[in-house]
Amino acid sequence: MRFFITLIAYISFAFSNQYTFLVNKYDKEIELEAKIISNIAKSSMKGKTKLFIPKISDLEKKVYSKYFTLSETCEDSNFIFINKTIDEKQLCNTTDKLFFTNNYKKLIADKKYFGAFFWSKSRPNIVFISKRLKEMNIKLPKNYNQFIEYFNEK
Amino acid sequence: MKVLCFVLILFSNVLFADSIISLLKEYESTSENSLKTVNEKLGHVIVYSQKEIRQMQYTKLSDILKELPLMSLSKNTYGLTSPLLAGSKSVSGFFRFFINDHEISSSFNQSPSLTWGDLPLDLVNHIEIYYGDSSFTLGNETGVYFIRIYTKSAKQENGNELRSVFQSNGAKTQSLTHSQSFANGWSYLLYLNNEKLKDKSEYNNSSLKNNSDRKYLYLNISNETTNVNIGYTGLNKDNFVGLSLDGLPDSGEIKSKDYFIDFTQYFLDDKSIKAKFAIDINEREYEENNAGGIGLLPVLDLMGTTIPKQFNEDLKFTKTNAYISKTFKYENNNILTALNVTNKKYKVKERKSLNFLNTQTNVGYYNDFNEETVYSLLFQNDYKVNDKLILLANAKIDKYKRNSYIKDSTEQLFRVGLIYTPFEYLGFKSFYTDTYLPPSFYNSDFVDITRNTITSQKYKFFTLEGVYTRGNSKFGMIYNNVKIDDFIYLSPIGFTNIDHRIETEGLIFNYDYEFSNKNKLHLNYYISSQNDNVSNSQKGGYIKYTGSYNKFEYFTSLIYKSSFNYYNVNIKDSFDLSLGATYNFTKDFSCSIKGENLLKKSTQSLYSYGISPVTNYSLKDNVERSFYFSLKWVF
Repeated sequence: MRFFITLIAYISFAFSNQYTFLVNKYDKEIELEAKIISNIAKSSMKGKTKLFIPKISDLEKKVYSKYFTLSETCEDSNFIFINKTIDEKQLCNTTDKLFFTNNYKKLIADKKYFGAFFWSKSRPNIVFISKRLKEMNIKLPKNYNQFIEYFNEK
Repeated sequence: MKVLCFVLILFSNVLFADSIISLLKEYESTSENSLKTVNEKLGHVIVYSQKEIRQMQYTKLSDILKELPLMSLSKNTYGLTSPLLAGSKSVSGFFRFFINDHEISSSFNQSPSLTWGDLPLDLVNHIEIYYGDSSFTLGNETGVYFIRIYTKSAKQENGNELRSVFQSNGAKTQSLTHSQSFANGWSYLLYLNNEKLKDKSEYNNSSLKNNSDRKYLYLNISNETTNVNIGYTGLNKDNFVGLSLDGLPDSGEIKSKDYFIDFTQYFLDDKSIKAKFAIDINEREYEENNAGGIGLLPVLDLMGTTIPKQFNEDLKFTKTNAYISKTFKYENNNILTALNVTNKKYKVKERKSLNFLNTQTNVGYYNDFNEETVYSLLFQNDYKVNDKLILLANAKIDKYKRNSYIKDSTEQLFRVGLIYTPFEYLGFKSFYTDTYLPPSFYNSDFVDITRNTITSQKYKFFTLEGVYTRGNSKFGMIYNNVKIDDFIYLSPIGFTNIDHRIETEGLIFNYDYEFSNKNKLHLNYYISSQNDNVSNSQKGGYIKYTGSYNKFEYFTSLIYKSSFNYYNVNIKDSFDLSLGATYNFTKDFSCSIKGENLLKKSTQSLYSYGISPVTNYSLKDNVERSFYFSLKWVF
């Protein structure tokens, strides 16, 4: 038992959260966002994910490229994450691609999105709409069940 | 066997770290550290994160200000909390306060005490405190201690919150936060707060009342490129000691209303152009009656014939501010250029006094100085020599146009600095700053009547910070050396520029230890010295412990400020011990209890009455222990 405690203490010691100065732009939150989107993309589709983020910033490019192959255009991608306000009419054909958003209201209003990663009541949330998952033939792993919402859509 | 266990634990650790639920938890916890807006180039920074504000149960801005190093918090003559520099009584303009980039310090006396000074923190996401003149980057007026308050984000809150706080002395506060995000990218956050605070002090067998009613309204409307902040605060309170010549006013009241609107727009894809426009209006009324006389310096002739026994004032201050900046990169240089224009107007709607001969006088303006415009040109360059070394240079020109009394002036200020991180676990930061603090309307109104002139205070200061991290420990040390010429000091007969140089030195020690991601220990100790008479504590520190266990969150803290002597007044060491715990019934509903001033060894504030002779005395800022009970419901 003592060995395990020492071991856990050693692991937590090695992975310290302390820093001296935040000289470069703080990217830990965006790094975790990228990991979450990567986890969702891998769980939602087979094969290699080619991600397109409209109006992607330099920092997002740097961080997301660690987890994805980034596409320059919507046409060239198979997973589109919309996390900014854009003119959605300019987006490509939606049939063979997965669309994900960071806005719950957008998810509810637009059937092309199969899920959203957003904040609600000061907490980060993920929501997938069951009917759309079926229509798009997406089978999520069991640990995603708590994020699936069942409500009637016309 | 041991090797197998190690591999298993490491494997399960990695596996757990990448599960979607643990990623969400880590994301939430990282966001609560509130490090996204930290700008190391502005100065030496202390961050009060969302997590720390919640765990420590900080409910008011003063809960944080009272523990900060190199300063202390005092109750001023009107019963308002006011920050003081270590070793010295009030310094006009030394401390600057901002909400979401908008300066809330008053146009009159450069202090937010009357308006937003004791802001409720359930509106606040996090606070950054910078030791160093950050006006070089932000275009705001100069200062040395910059307190930057960031409100909760509408997009992240996206819900409603109700909170009630009850204090053992009968004070109570209720607040409501409502926020919503829309599909088109816009979001808004509305905050309403109503508080009734109770406070009194005993002096010479009489009660000095300090009850107050405050109301706050805050509205933030934003999308990716636009940010609109609208704020209102209204105050109605007793005048405490006021201006009474015997230290015991018969009656008195202070009323204040402060409104502002601040509009910020970013242009270009990289948001490298920032334009900002803001208007602030402050209306304040003051009334005092005292048969023992009112020490209203500007109307006293020192012969005693003009001493008022009744005084009424109705003032209006308007501040208009416009700012535009452009940032760009050139090789290893990050360059910022900006223009800033600020106009301040001071209007006396009414100011009248009634003297002992029952003669009423319409006092009007004390002098002709009632409008000031400042035009500023800013330049900043940070040059990345390599991954370990960044050099910083700032220059700023402020051109003052004043309508009267204080002459127009042009101030040139500069700063050079470096951030050097030779190893990941060791860093140094240093600045040399040549800046100034301009006189305010308050300084000119209450100017020393024998001198009748006042000028800017000139500051030259050098700071050096070292940080060393090892495992879960973080050690930090900040040294400062400040030289001040023309220091503005409030003497018994008004503000005056001191005719000799003030020199101060200070040293701050910090130590943080993270037991796990949930429990944390903070230690702080500071000392300062100066070549002039001491009128405030010069040493202090704190020890804080925060943690959580299952559904409980708890904290304990002990804040120390050293003793000092001021003329014949001896102020003893103060020890403010607080304890508190929160129980989270669900993710959405929690209740908290907190005890403050448990040792009954509170800080004390200095007061004086009379003009010649002057009687100095002190009063405890908190006489009794305070207990708080609060409820929070998120829906």
